[in-house]
Amino acid sequence: MNLLNFIFYFLESVAALSAVSMIFIRNVFYGALLLITCLIALAGLYVLAFAEFIAVTQILIYAGGILVVIIFGIMLTSKISGKPLVVEHANLFSGTLAGLSFLGLLIYFLSAQKFNVFSTAKPLPEASLHTFGIELMSDFILPFEIAGILLLIALIGAAVISSSIKSKKV
Amino acid sequence: MFPLQHFLYLGALLFSVGLIIVITKRNAIMVLLGIELMLNASNVNLVAFNQLNPSALDGQFFALFVIIVAVSEAAVGLALVLRVYHDYKTSVPDELNELKD
Amino acid sequence: MEAVQSYQSTSVELFLLIALLLPLLSFFISFIISEKYSWSVPFLATLLLIVSLASSIYVFFSIWKHEPFAAHIHWFVIGDFHFTIGILVNNISALMLIVVTGISFLVHLYSAGYMVGDVGIRRYFAMLGFFTFSMLGIILADNLLLIFIFWELVGFSSYMLIGHWKEKIEASTAATKAFLINRIGDVGFLVGLMIVWAYQSSFNLIELNSSTDILSWQTAASLCIFCGVMGKSTQFPLLTWLPDAMEGPTPVSALIHAATMVAAGVFLLARIHFIFTNQALDVVIIIGGITSLMGALAALAQHDIKKILAYSTISQLGLMVMAIGAGAPEAAMFHLFTHAFFKAGLFLAAGSIIHSLHQAQHHNNDHFDVQDVRNLGGLRKKLPFTFLIFILCGSALSGLPFFTGFLSKDAILTALQFWKGSEFSWRWFMFANGFIVSFVTVLYTFRMIWSVFMGDEKKTINLSITEPPLVMRAPLAILGFASLWFIVSINPLDYSSWLYTGLHAGKHFHFSLMPIISGLWVMLAFVTAYVIRNKSLQSTFLMNNFHLDRVYDTLIVKPTSQLANLVDHLDRKWIDGFIHGTAYGQVILAHFTNWFDRIVIDGSVDGVAGVAKGIGSLTRSFQGGKIQLYIFWAIFAIIIFLIWLII
Repeated sequence: MNLLNFIFYFLESVAALSAVSMIFIRNVFYGALLLITCLIALAGLYVLAFAEFIAVTQILIYAGGILVVIIFGIMLTSKISGKPLVVEHANLFSGTLAGLSFLGLLIYFLSAQKFNVFSTAKPLPEASLHTFGIELMSDFILPFEIAGILLLIALIGAAVISSSIKSKKV
Repeated sequence: MFPLQHFLYLGALLFSVGLIIVITKRNAIMVLLGIELMLNASNVNLVAFNQLNPSALDGQFFALFVIIVAVSEAAVGLALVLRVYHDYKTSVPDELNELKD
Repeated sequence: MEAVQSYQSTSVELFLLIALLLPLLSFFISFIISEKYSWSVPFLATLLLIVSLASSIYVFFSIWKHEPFAAHIHWFVIGDFHFTIGILVNNISALMLIVVTGISFLVHLYSAGYMVGDVGIRRYFAMLGFFTFSMLGIILADNLLLIFIFWELVGFSSYMLIGHWKEKIEASTAATKAFLINRIGDVGFLVGLMIVWAYQSSFNLIELNSSTDILSWQTAASLCIFCGVMGKSTQFPLLTWLPDAMEGPTPVSALIHAATMVAAGVFLLARIHFIFTNQALDVVIIIGGITSLMGALAALAQHDIKKILAYSTISQLGLMVMAIGAGAPEAAMFHLFTHAFFKAGLFLAAGSIIHSLHQAQHHNNDHFDVQDVRNLGGLRKKLPFTFLIFILCGSALSGLPFFTGFLSKDAILTALQFWKGSEFSWRWFMFANGFIVSFVTVLYTFRMIWSVFMGDEKKTINLSITEPPLVMRAPLAILGFASLWFIVSINPLDYSSWLYTGLHAGKHFHFSLMPIISGLWVMLAFVTAYVIRNKSLQSTFLMNNFHLDRVYDTLIVKPTSQLANLVDHLDRKWIDGFIHGTAYGQVILAHFTNWFDRIVIDGSVDGVAGVAKGIGSLTRSFQGGKIQLYIFWAIFAIIIFLIWLII
């Protein structure tokens, strides 16, 4: 077992454990932290899967953007009283049943499939990033632009929704 | 090269865990976290399947767009959570049942 | 009214109606007149009755020995059948009309003196009027149903009058007894009416008379009707009510005995004589014989002056019924006529004794039973007028020659002698019975008059007794006068006079030796009575009328009471129990039904509603605003879909 394999399994187990432990914790803040851990581990896995750009984007957007927003949300909704925001559980049985049975089904389907593992075609990182940009500006220009508009709309929407101006609502 | 199955199993696990969190947690922010987890599970799969044809970057593009959508979703979702909390003084999704009946 | 007869129809009709309806008018007037003017009631009622009597006399002379008068009107229609009511006046009706209105008038007159000061005087005169009206109805009615209706009205009136002094427990008991015993007889009458209707479809006397052939049903029908006569005319099994009825006012007794109540039975027998078959007549004569003998013997032992007269009436009625049974209704009616006057006279005379003694007692504050002949005696000096009336009427009752009773008794005895030919048979027992009865009649009549008026005064010795007022003496005088022979026959030894021939148009039996034999026989009885005048018959057996009441009490009343108790017990225990059981069962069933209703029927309805509600709330719970549950159900559907894929 070489170092890469070790790193792979390590990241994999970190992601899995942090995700699973998110089920059991009751503090939302810890949940957010565990999510960051999971996402960073996933970013590492992306690197190992030759998706460096995605990995970087993952770290930037999630760890830098979403998580900050989430932690702000947690802080705003808990009134900053210092008291940890304890989360109750509901639908424990049905949720667990659905989740586990879904997991079981997925594993059943996955194990029934044989996927070819490519060991030869190993694209170069710089070529990959280069072609990534070319592709993004050529073949995927329309989704790219739409994604930009989507982000703009989401930005405006979020700003409007959470603005402190009293809405017309009674 | 790492076995593709591992990625897929990990994605399945993450998705299931996200699902359990979405169903069971009685807090809107925690539900959002679960949703992020599920989106990332799909990203894992997309990235993993991208390895089957490395010359084409379709899977990575999809993962990128998913991240973008997730960002939008998180931003709007959190804004909604704040708004609801401000109006109803609660962040428990079950208690927001004003439209019921 | 459509008159059958052409001659004099309108005037006869008018006077008939006057005679019939004036007593009814008297009844109404006496009832509606106010308490303040109740003193005028006797006057008014007597006035109405004298008009009624005058009308009757006119009718009598119009009808007598002419064709019968008949008129009818339509009463009601059932299907095709027209029911008529009407009047049929033949000779016997006309005679009875005079008897009833005449006796009733005299009784009214007498009552004006006798009942003075009585609190119920309006009711008394009202019922007297009603009594007379009912009796006139029986006499005039031309069909059996109408006769039955008036028959019942007579029974009702007698009930009211016997129980006039309703404060006296004996009076009300006697009234009830009279009423009940009459009902027993009337049941037979009613059955007889049904039989007649079933076979003839008619109650009209003329129509019934027109069928000449003897029919088998007639025996049964006539015997059933005779049951009614037994009750009304106190024949053998049903004779116990009459002595008890002495509890009523004495004028009422006179009316009952002479004209109205008991005469109705004999009159009815004479009226419907054509229905009776020979077998039925045999029964009638036997019953009459038994009754006459029992009445005569029981009269011997009585001490109460009114009861002596009552038993004597029973005996005389038995003689009349015997005459009917012997096929001589004319003899019966003849005796009824004469008997009416002398018996009314006797009763009214007894009433005047009672009245005078009561008055005297009232002054002296002395109390003894003035009706008991053992307390009386030697009254001939103090009450000479009453004594005279007693002698006249008592002689008529005894059948002494030169009195009416002698003639009518002769008629009956002659009829008995010629009944069923001349050969020897059991008819001779009846003939002998008639002689024995007339012998005993002399004995008890003589004994009664002797013990009251002769001898020494007993408890009355200190009383200053005066004769009753003129208003009471006048009727007595008339009745005493009417007991003399020339009223009915010029020849004192031959009964076949104007009256008798008017009653019977057919062949007359005549036996010239009969008046002589009868006269000698009565004289013999008279001598015997004089010889034994101081012996009194102490027989509780006869005193209590052969213990007939006790026999009835033992044989009928007690078993009936026991049966009633048994039935009552059965009713309470079983029928009520059954009903209660049924009721409980129904309540239980109702509870069960209620339970069934609530649980099963309501339950099924509620169940359907509940299922709908459950489905509704289940469906609603999927969209109950709980987002996480939405997600769960979505995932659940996907899982099911995936599992379906695998399978």
